[in-house]
Amino acid sequence: MTTSRRKFLGLLGGTAIGAVVFQACGVPEKELIIQAPFEMPEDLVTGIDNWYATSINTTPATDGVVVRVMEGRAKKVEGNIDHPINQGKHFPRTEATLQSLYNPDRISSPLVRIGPRGSGKWEQISWTDAIARVSEQISNVEDKSSILIANNRISGHAQLILNNFSNALGCKNLIYEPIESTNLRSAIKHVFNQEQIPDFDIKNTKYLLSFGADFLESWISPTKYSRDFGHFRQGTDHRGKMVHISSRYSMTSANADEWIYVNPGTEGLLAMSIASVIIRQKLGPQPNVESLTENGKFDLADYSPDKVCQIISPYLTPDKIVNIANEFMEHSPSLAIGGDTAGSHTNGADSLSAIYSLNYLADNVGKKGGVIFQPKPALPDLINREISSSFSEWEKVANDMQKGQISIFLTSNVDPVYGLPASLKFRETLSSTRRVPLVVSFSEHMDDTASMADLILPQGDPLEEWGSNIPDPGPGYQTIGFQQPVVRPFFESKGRHYGNKSFSDSLISISKTMDLDINVESDSIKDLILEDSKKLFKLKRGSVQAQTEKAFWIGLLQRGGWWDINNTFKNKINKPPKFKKLTTAKFNNTPEYDFHLIPFVSNGISDGSGANLPWLQALPDPISTATWSTWVEINLKDATKLDITEGDIIKITNQNGVSIEAIAYPNPASAPNTICVPVGQGHTSMGRYAKNRGANVLSILDASKDDNTGALAWSATKVKISKTGNWKKLPQLENELGGEIPQDPERKVIKIDGDGEGKHHH
Amino acid sequence: MPENKWGMVIDLDKCTGCQSCVVACQSENNIPINTEDIFNQRRAIEWIRIERYWEGEFPNVRARYVPVLCQHCDEAPCEPVCPVLATYHNDQGLNVQVYNRCIGTRFCANNCPYTVRFFNFWEPEWPESFKNQLNPDVTVRSRGIMEKCTFCIQRIRRFSKNSESTERDLNPACTNACATDALVFGNLNDPESKISKVKSKGKKRSYKMLEELGTEPNVIYLKKVEKGTKQEHNVH
Repeated sequence: MTTSRRKFLGLLGGTAIGAVVFQACGVPEKELIIQAPFEMPEDLVTGIDNWYATSINTTPATDGVVVRVMEGRAKKVEGNIDHPINQGKHFPRTEATLQSLYNPDRISSPLVRIGPRGSGKWEQISWTDAIARVSEQISNVEDKSSILIANNRISGHAQLILNNFSNALGCKNLIYEPIESTNLRSAIKHVFNQEQIPDFDIKNTKYLLSFGADFLESWISPTKYSRDFGHFRQGTDHRGKMVHISSRYSMTSANADEWIYVNPGTEGLLAMSIASVIIRQKLGPQPNVESLTENGKFDLADYSPDKVCQIISPYLTPDKIVNIANEFMEHSPSLAIGGDTAGSHTNGADSLSAIYSLNYLADNVGKKGGVIFQPKPALPDLINREISSSFSEWEKVANDMQKGQISIFLTSNVDPVYGLPASLKFRETLSSTRRVPLVVSFSEHMDDTASMADLILPQGDPLEEWGSNIPDPGPGYQTIGFQQPVVRPFFESKGRHYGNKSFSDSLISISKTMDLDINVESDSIKDLILEDSKKLFKLKRGSVQAQTEKAFWIGLLQRGGWWDINNTFKNKINKPPKFKKLTTAKFNNTPEYDFHLIPFVSNGISDGSGANLPWLQALPDPISTATWSTWVEINLKDATKLDITEGDIIKITNQNGVSIEAIAYPNPASAPNTICVPVGQGHTSMGRYAKNRGANVLSILDASKDDNTGALAWSATKVKISKTGNWKKLPQLENELGGEIPQDPERKVIKIDGDGEGKHHH
Repeated sequence: MPENKWGMVIDLDKCTGCQSCVVACQSENNIPINTEDIFNQRRAIEWIRIERYWEGEFPNVRARYVPVLCQHCDEAPCEPVCPVLATYHNDQGLNVQVYNRCIGTRFCANNCPYTVRFFNFWEPEWPESFKNQLNPDVTVRSRGIMEKCTFCIQRIRRFSKNSESTERDLNPACTNACATDALVFGNLNDPESKISKVKSKGKKRSYKMLEELGTEPNVIYLKKVEKGTKQEHNVH
């Protein structure tokens, strides 16, 4: 570093001379000119930074990121321009991973409970002790199938290790998702015969029909879809048209050219009606039509616009349905997608099947601007295993726990205590050591489930750990994201016996202590990934190629992963399955309980996993601009009728008598008789930013399920609402400028182009 | 003509209102945590914010989004009112805030029609561990002074000092984050820059916010496109 010291002295000399010149000038006017803002002392740049590539699984999909690191600390996260999914872009949740890494309430070492379960009294223990305790308890259980591991949806080597561990031990393994993808996956399997969610090529489509899927803020891969959407709008000379169909007006609805309100649970019915028009008018490709209708045996007459229009929405006309059907067929390639509320009713899976079948009528399957299937992973071991995640499985778990049939409950990165409906009494059951003898959490943060644990073996932050992941949905070609530690572990200073350890490494350690053969030669997930990188190296194709294994490994890490744009789905595309008769969505209709409750995921704290991150708590919701709270969107006329004004505290009660309270937000876009409440608040634990803030709407959901898949019908709850008489100011952005709801009738701020360059379809 | 004139083009037809830009800005520029109390006091600091405007009522309703940040006006109303010359215009088109000159009169904020200037009523506070994330290139502003969007001047400086820099190094944090590429930043004086090309391609749709005030902003908006709007609403 001697040269840099000399250089430093030289720079110092230069600065001194500069200062002399400034002083010589003397007069303030001159100072104005000479002191360019670029040279302001506030903005002098002194440090050396490095940007490291990695990938993190924070949005529903996995995004590739680069992290700016200075002096061993992460300063900034941005999208990795090389990564196929997000291509240089990132979402609020991705950025806020920094606040997860440096969260003041992170768990810094293994903990053992010293008070009653759930009391929050812990004692720090060493990793050796923690691993030994878990291993001993697992060994002591005779019936290993009574052990349950619950985790979030993971992929790559972490899943491989978990899979091998569960198989070797003979225990159960369940995924928990507060907003389930069970129905979506079931519909994809049924309609396309695919295990993985295909790539929906929004970028190149010309007409997008979206049913319920809030793909711009929260649905499965929002960063990629947003990127595609920018191109869809103004990337070419032909501006794409988007029609969004849903019961709640969301940010995605706001971005559509047309938003069509449908009564809850009728999204599939509208899709069938559109199909009936296409088939009646003979607009669809004949072989696909024959296959879908089994040569005309499946009669779509019951779904004709005249018959179903009023069921779908009082604001819809049969002509409108015919019009959409025609537009959908005229603008090739067109694309139909569905998710979120469209798949969250008792007929959810069938509704989604009807929606996705439209793609066969548009003849876009396997084509640009349509539905593009994923190839098998480059490393066959990393194929995504189908693990059940349906609500009915969780109901069974809750029952088994009550009967004392679950001996050890291990959780990683999931919070079922928070997310499952209160009617399952999961929290109460878990609080009894007699019913569930041992609860182990591998959580990084003290979430509601971790707070009920006996032992916590905290995993590290994604920015501190090794890993790999296969994005789901992928980009339509083979892709593996690599995750590397971009910073030293934050709790490294506590010594090697404390601090954090990844979930995978904990499982490997437990298996070694138990002498359990999990068919993994390596001592850590890092070694396993390194070994597998040699297999990738031998393929001699893809985004990273090198002369030596070592150079290849370094290349992988520098690039944040490996992908091969030429390796796409090449198999034959199956004939479409025939339409299913659509059942009507069922609701528990009782007098008084006359409001449909539609929970939704805002792009800030998302499903609640971001509730401990202040940047996300403070992110104004795109519709209400509300922050830091739980609010309830209610139709303006309903609000007037019930004498509800903004800030009134509203009690929302379900038919089991369970209630939550939320702040009223009379919403110009809410439909009558529906109330919409954001998911994510109401934690009883999870640190200073999340604990006891707002209310947990998931807790008051009815345990009604999809007829076929057993998935939670999370939009099927009917509730009653009442004023509590209390009032609280809704913390929101729009109040900053004064006025209750900003209107811009003269379009002074936002100007609209009627038929400018957009080249709308006519 | 100066070599550089920094500006931004914002395509409202692409902006979805997702607020990636908002968090990216807060992370890059050491913006204090906007707590619930701060929102309730209407003192939230967002150098870039997304405003949402309503039109109509259910079922014929529209929410529209517009990102608002310092417009870096050529005729900035905030500049002449500063008694200590803490805010002024430089020769690269930037409206600059010199923190150590500011004495906190807040005249500039009063005079800004875009409400994009923010006053630090209190010392910013972070839990100790969050301080690890603070960007060392950006001053943490103390109590009693104004702050605002700088177009990430620290990035512009790094860019100008490093010959290997790319466009992404120059871009403000909001622009790099913007998933739909609605935000484009660059040198308006360079006809070959991306911003100049986007500006010229979107010429028919371009306008400046509250341009009738004569502030001459360097942020150019491209109108949102909507079928049949002219006929239905009879605007512009």
